[in-house]
Amino acid sequence: MPFAFVDTLTENFDEFLRGFGTTVELVVVSFVIAMSVGTLIAAFRVAPSPWLQRIGGLYVEAFRNVPLLVLIFIAYPGLRRAGVEISAFVAGVLSLGLYTAAYVAEAIRSGVFSVSKGQIEASLSLGFTYPQTMRRIILPQAFRTVISPLGSLIIAMIKNSAILGGSILALNDLLKTGRVIASRTFEVIPAFLWAAAGYLILTGLATLAIRRLETRYAVKR
Amino acid sequence: MKTTRWLAVLALVLGLVLAGCGDDEDSGSGGGGGGESTPAAEVEKFDAGTPLGDIQEKGEIVIGVKYDVPPFGFNNPSSGKVEGFDVDLGQAVADKLGVKPKFIEAISDNRIPFLEDGTADLILSTMTINEERVGQIEFSDPYYIAKGRILVKEDNSEITGVDTLGGKNVCTALGSTYEATLKKQAPDAKLKLVDSYSECLESLQNGSVDAISTDDVILTGMIIQDDTLKLVGDELSQEPYGAGIKKGNTELKEFVDGVFTEYKDDGRYDKTYEKWVGQYTDTEAEAPTISVDEAVELVKQNAG
Repeated sequence: MPFAFVDTLTENFDEFLRGFGTTVELVVVSFVIAMSVGTLIAAFRVAPSPWLQRIGGLYVEAFRNVPLLVLIFIAYPGLRRAGVEISAFVAGVLSLGLYTAAYVAEAIRSGVFSVSKGQIEASLSLGFTYPQTMRRIILPQAFRTVISPLGSLIIAMIKNSAILGGSILALNDLLKTGRVIASRTFEVIPAFLWAAAGYLILTGLATLAIRRLETRYAVKR
Repeated sequence: MKTTRWLAVLALVLGLVLAGCGDDEDSGSGGGGGGESTPAAEVEKFDAGTPLGDIQEKGEIVIGVKYDVPPFGFNNPSSGKVEGFDVDLGQAVADKLGVKPKFIEAISDNRIPFLEDGTADLILSTMTINEERVGQIEFSDPYYIAKGRILVKEDNSEITGVDTLGGKNVCTALGSTYEATLKKQAPDAKLKLVDSYSECLESLQNGSVDAISTDDVILTGMIIQDDTLKLVGDELSQEPYGAGIKKGNTELKEFVDGVFTEYKDDGRYDKTYEKWVGQYTDTEAEAPTISVDEAVELVKQNAG
């Protein structure tokens, strides 16, 4: 039995590897989208203009309050029916990236609020513009305090990426590969455990990276 | 101020409790099916401790069916119950046992695990009998033989059969026999595997796949819903459907075979066929007479 367990991996290694690769691609692209859009929206939410604040708030409420699976349906069958020739991969990373961005924005916003208001006032009075104040003074400090909550979001995003493959996008990601192999070989438990091992590799690496960032940049207490 | 807040909490709790009750009622009634159930006149009693005796003691048999594959198993929005060819057969098995059928949804890749872990007693979900599955579960004798076909949009002139699928996106269900059949017969086709045929239909309609390949009856069900689709090419496979039963439970297998034989002999099969398939396809019922072993041989030729 233990040998059969290993056989499931060795006999289907190429397939598992392709699935792992797809999941890595999904996660990396979604991460870039989530971090950049999330930071931008957080800046909107703490901006002095009430209109920017409103746009930021609307974004967060819209993307945080709609289930990811529904976003996928809007982004793929929905857009395609509206005449947009979007590919399954792009629809997938947009859904996951923009969804995660709403949470990232909230985390960063709370980080910005942890930097005292006096610093913004001081910076503005020294002649920095608002974007400069954000980029040079507030955000670097804010990021320090939000490394840990951001880390949790990244790990959640890695796991959420499994929803993309199981959905109508029909992407052959890691979990999907496990399911295809399970349905073909009937080695259901080994196939899913190997898929789980793949996710553990990714979340484990993410955890290590976060821990390093924390020890490097964390506020000394 | 304080009172209003408490009232709001109370309303929320009441709402949740009431919602909970509603769920219970739903799961209790289960499926039902529109089949003409024969009155349970002569019900044979089975000994306690045997698989059939256990089901009789429980008073219900849990049957896994498709919820989205008309005309075999689908949720009828007007009655709120699951109906179809498979559901009628399940009802017949339950009637013969003198128990109530409880229909649960079984998708292509969870139905065999459902049998193994005891979630379902019987699977009637357009399941093709093939060699790999015969190693995993018991099958009843075939109760229906479907033919594999290809469905495309009416304005598609590029795809005319299985040999023109190269480079095209083709949708089929994860865990179905078409995964293997298509890999053999159309190795250059790009397979899109999804959980359910309704997702395949959506993908074909919105243009993200070029074709769907699966059983003719399922594809006919799609054409009934959307008449801008058409079947193309010759049949690429024969798919004998059998009821799935947990490995080693030969008692239930023989019982189900008995029910199916009776169903075919007393004319109920023809009626059920006409109701779910015949009236849409203008074909006569042809009850299969082959055994499980012959069905396995038939399916082997598909890959050829």
